[in-house]
Amino acid sequence: MSDRTTLDWSPEPESSAPPPTWGRRAPEAQVLLWVFAALAGFLLLGNVLLSPHLTAPALRTWSTIFVSICVQAVPFLVCGVALSSAITAFVPPSFWAKVPRRPYAAPVPGTAVRRALAFLPASPAVNPVVLVATAVAFPGHPDLVLARFAASLVVSVLAGWIWQATGRPGPARVPARAAEEGESRWAAFLSEMRYDLLRAGGFLVIGGLVAATLNVVVPRSWLASVSGIPWLPVLVLAVLAVVLSLRPETDAFVAASLTGFSPTARLVFLVAGPMVDLTALRAGAPARAYAVRFVPPVLTAAVLVSVLAGRVLL
Amino acid sequence: MTQSIILTLLGGAVLRVSALSSLYVNYVRPGFRVPLVAAGVVVLALGVLGLVQEWRRPYAPGTARPSGPRAAWLLCLPVVIIFLIAPPALGSYAAGLDPAPRPMPAGPYAALPAGGPPAMSLGEFIGRARSGTSPSLAGRQVTLTGFAVRADGGRWYLTRMRIGCCAADASPLRVAVLGVPAPRDDTWVTVTGTWVPTPDERAPAPEMRATRLTVIAPPAEPYE
Repeated sequence: MSDRTTLDWSPEPESSAPPPTWGRRAPEAQVLLWVFAALAGFLLLGNVLLSPHLTAPALRTWSTIFVSICVQAVPFLVCGVALSSAITAFVPPSFWAKVPRRPYAAPVPGTAVRRALAFLPASPAVNPVVLVATAVAFPGHPDLVLARFAASLVVSVLAGWIWQATGRPGPARVPARAAEEGESRWAAFLSEMRYDLLRAGGFLVIGGLVAATLNVVVPRSWLASVSGIPWLPVLVLAVLAVVLSLRPETDAFVAASLTGFSPTARLVFLVAGPMVDLTALRAGAPARAYAVRFVPPVLTAAVLVSVLAGRVLL
Repeated sequence: MTQSIILTLLGGAVLRVSALSSLYVNYVRPGFRVPLVAAGVVVLALGVLGLVQEWRRPYAPGTARPSGPRAAWLLCLPVVIIFLIAPPALGSYAAGLDPAPRPMPAGPYAALPAGGPPAMSLGEFIGRARSGTSPSLAGRQVTLTGFAVRADGGRWYLTRMRIGCCAADASPLRVAVLGVPAPRDDTWVTVTGTWVPTPDERAPAPEMRATRLTVIAPPAEPYE
């Protein structure tokens, strides 16, 4: 017992004098309280003083739609981010290397299919949070949830094939932020979650801005004339999905607000978006190869499969 | 540090509309309060935890942390709008954006209860009015609740927004009211009256001849 106590006792560091910065806080921390107090004060004062004057009906309608998309998506965003951060922080990378040899892939003939299935867990397009979010965004339309699940599954497999066939351009999974030296798993989980929440939240805000502006500024007659041409809305929403780069947990709410578009076009939006991650381009490696060889065939496959699924299921 | 401040403000804004007030009914379905409060608490906790860590971190020159994604700044936008504009429920302006009539399921509906004029949602009234050969509305007085939207030629519509998941997919339900002068736009009223069959099935809205109109306070649930 006494031996252990001695062993656990850590000796003083070599230098007996504390460093000159000892007891000081980081310079950011010194202004932290002031910045926070100023922001909170501004918001609360503005709430009392300004909100009675910002009453233009167009502005109010626009902001109601914008805020409603953000507010509605936040719980699903938090769940999705917690899920993926937990996978990043607690599942060792070696697990993913083993996935192709998992038994459930065994009955599928051919290594190509097995490799394609290996792409599935890497694609976050169909997880329970995404499906629940879709069901909430489209109440009374379980057919859309089913169509999204089926089409995403098929496109994931196709994307896996395409990824193999084009010589594995870019990462299959956007590489997670590397854990810092000496960081515990919980700390890694929290900082990953913080980072991911902010990044995905920023993209959600852009999606909300676009959707609210489309609803308030663009006349319905324009949308009606776009919808008059059968393939145009599909193409428009496929491009919009790729440009917005929404997380799949949140894109259903943006899709729900695009009331001027047909169900099939919205399905394309839901399926194509998560398949092409433009942010992977910045994440590194052969960005050109990814953009030129991988994105166009995957996008084409996503559009074709969703249109087909829309015909059959919607 | 900025990461933690943004998260704290965002969590605070979500709790402001869900836990600390009932503003959330302007944006989402009433049953969504619990998930909103839970998400708000998680985001706030992440932010506050980060602030505490930042505050306690000993000063070490040259080890500034990466400042996080640039897209994060955009999250200030909903926070500022929630506090500065406090967006209200959608009203006559939003209804005017979508002039097309909304198709309602044409039944089957049960017979109306006997007795005084039953209260009915606008969606049910429109559905019953549209339901083909044996409308159960004929000759019966019913009570409808909505806000007023003036139209050209002295007509006005009793209107209510119908939402699927949130205010972003709202679409207006309209009933044209005859026989009473139009209240001001966005005034919430209860109207008692009788359905007037219209010859044209594709009329923009079913009509009702009103006998009584009462101005009321905005209801707790603004949407149908």
